[in-house]
Amino acid sequence: MNCTRRDAMRLGGGVIATLAGSLSARAQAITEIEMRGTPRGERIWFDPLGLAVVPGTTIRFTNRDPGNSHTATAYHPAIYGRKRRIPLAARPWDSDFLLPDERFEVTLTAPGVYDYYCLPHEMAAMVGRIVVGTPAGAGWEGRSKDTSDVSDQVLAILPPAERIIAAGTVSWEGRS
Amino acid sequence: MLRNSLLVAGVIAATTTIASAHDEEALMNAPAGDPYVKVSDVLPLPEFIPGLGTLFVDPATLPAGPFLAYDHDGLLSATIYMTPLEELQNGVSYDGLDIGSHTVSSTDIYFNAGHPGVEKPHAHVVLFHDEKAKERLAK
Repeated sequence: MNCTRRDAMRLGGGVIATLAGSLSARAQAITEIEMRGTPRGERIWFDPLGLAVVPGTTIRFTNRDPGNSHTATAYHPAIYGRKRRIPLAARPWDSDFLLPDERFEVTLTAPGVYDYYCLPHEMAAMVGRIVVGTPAGAGWEGRSKDTSDVSDQVLAILPPAERIIAAGTVSWEGRS
Repeated sequence: MLRNSLLVAGVIAATTTIASAHDEEALMNAPAGDPYVKVSDVLPLPEFIPGLGTLFVDPATLPAGPFLAYDHDGLLSATIYMTPLEELQNGVSYDGLDIGSHTVSSTDIYFNAGHPGVEKPHAHVVLFHDEKAKERLAK
């Protein structure tokens, strides 16, 4: 199960967000993934592109792009009918559009490989991969083998899980 | 008869000129009226986008626009067109597009990877309407 929380500071989020947040707030450190873009929007990306964490880690997505909005959206049939690219035991998430400085949190507990994308920028290959745990752990589910639902550009940019585990993080600049 | 025709033609020409000038003047200050809508009211985008300002667009003209760009004081500072590269490559042309002001001091053209409203990678064609416009729209 994943617990999600969209930042309530700007959204006036309210009770549901607060309750969901309380489920994860006592758990473990928060790891941040930033949504970034060049000033004129020539390039946009998740930073880091690849991230390895232990099960139960809360991921905070924050939009640091002052001129654009972004989403962090899991590849899953329940969200826009996409092919599943997160572990079967995981709950899919969709941050909805985050305006500059807005953020969204999700806690990932199921071990395995999670691929996600930015809804308005998937065509520009704004995607990311999170690896939770290691293949040696119980219940591990490796990366999706599907190649029919995402572009070659997206597949090419996602770092191998082994590399993410070894490095801890893989940046967009260091992806190749 | 000829004199009457010339008179009518003259009146029409004068009326057209006045209407045109009036329309352009009406767009000089935000908010741009109907059919324009503020982009941030209908799409998940910041109200003021650094480099572009506060945008208004007639939804019927998407994706190309024109997008009317206003500075923090509500002064029309640029007219922007957004043309998807794929459409251009496929032979689509965008001709006879409207313009917010007939005074243009400079033009910038650059690539944009996409954003809500125009998701496909596209070109931004930015016509600045005075020499300080770019500076006012910067942030």
